[in-house]
Amino acid sequence: MAGEVAVTHVDLAPHPAREASALAWLDEVELARRERYHSGPRRCFVLCRAALRSLLCAELGCRNQQLRFQESEYGKPFALVDGQPASIGFNVSHSGSHGLIACAPRGRLGIDVEEIAPPRHLESLIEAVMGPQEQAELSRMSGDAQLRQFFRLWTCKEALIKALGTGFSTDISRFQVPAGLRQGASSGVFRFEQMPGVAWQLDDIGSAEFAAALARELLPAESGLS
Amino acid sequence: MATTEERIRKLVDDNLEIEGRTAGTPLHPEYSLRDSGVSSVAFVAFAKLVADEFGVTFSPEDCAKYNTVGELITRLEG
Repeated sequence: MAGEVAVTHVDLAPHPAREASALAWLDEVELARRERYHSGPRRCFVLCRAALRSLLCAELGCRNQQLRFQESEYGKPFALVDGQPASIGFNVSHSGSHGLIACAPRGRLGIDVEEIAPPRHLESLIEAVMGPQEQAELSRMSGDAQLRQFFRLWTCKEALIKALGTGFSTDISRFQVPAGLRQGASSGVFRFEQMPGVAWQLDDIGSAEFAAALARELLPAESGLS
Repeated sequence: MATTEERIRKLVDDNLEIEGRTAGTPLHPEYSLRDSGVSSVAFVAFAKLVADEFGVTFSPEDCAKYNTVGELITRLEG
C-alpha cells in the first residue's frame, strides 16, 4: 500500500488455464478489442482487464456484468457501474511478465512499470525525454546504474502524465522528477509548473525485476494547500 | 527512391522488437504499432527516429495519434 492506494501485481507469464478463465470476465467490447492485439499484448490485456474487473467488483460491491469501461479524450479508462461513473480511481500498467494495478477510493492515479532492458539509442532517448538536470546526472553514470536510473525516472514521469490523464500530449522532457527521488529517496511530492495548486505524491515502487512508480493526486488537506 | 512505407518499415525493423513480425515484409496499412506490444519507451524513441528520418516535427503524441501505418504514411506525405 502507498497511502490509500492498493497496488496489485498481476503475473502475465503465459498460462493457458489462467488466460481462459480471465477471458470469461470480459464483455463484448473488450473481446472485440482483444482481437486487435497480437498474442503477447493480447494476453497482457486479457489478464490485466480481468484482474481489474475482479478488483473493482470487490471495491464497488457490484457484479461484473454491471461494470463497463470508457476512455477519456486522451485514452485514460474510467469505470461505469450500470452506466454511471464509479467513484473510484484506478490505473493499469504492464511490461513483460509484470502487470500492476493501482486502485484508490479518490483522487487521480497513475502507475507505470517497465522491465529493465537496454533500449536502443539510450543516449538520444535521454536527450529526448529528460530535463537538463536529469540529463546531467545521467551523463555522470554508466552501465547498469545509468540504465536503472533512466528507468526509475522514466516510470516516475510516465506515472505522472498518466495520473494527469494527458498521456504523451504532455512533453515529459519539460518537467523533472523531484531532486530527492533523483538522488535515491523512495518518495517525494511533485507539482507541474502550469498547475502549482495541485500536488502529487510520487512513490518509487520498483523491485529488482522492474522499475515502477506510482503517482497520486494529494487532497488539499494532505498537500498543505487547504 | 524508397517509398514512405519502405522507410518506415526500415525504422521499425531496425529499431523495434515486435513479436511475430518478419523483418523486411511490407507493413499493412492497418498495422498498429500500439497493438503490437511496443513499449512506451520504444514508442517514444521511435517517434524521435521518425522525426529525424523525415525531417519533420513528430512527437510521441503524434505517434499515438496516427495509430496505424496507413495513417502515419498519410501524415508524413501530407
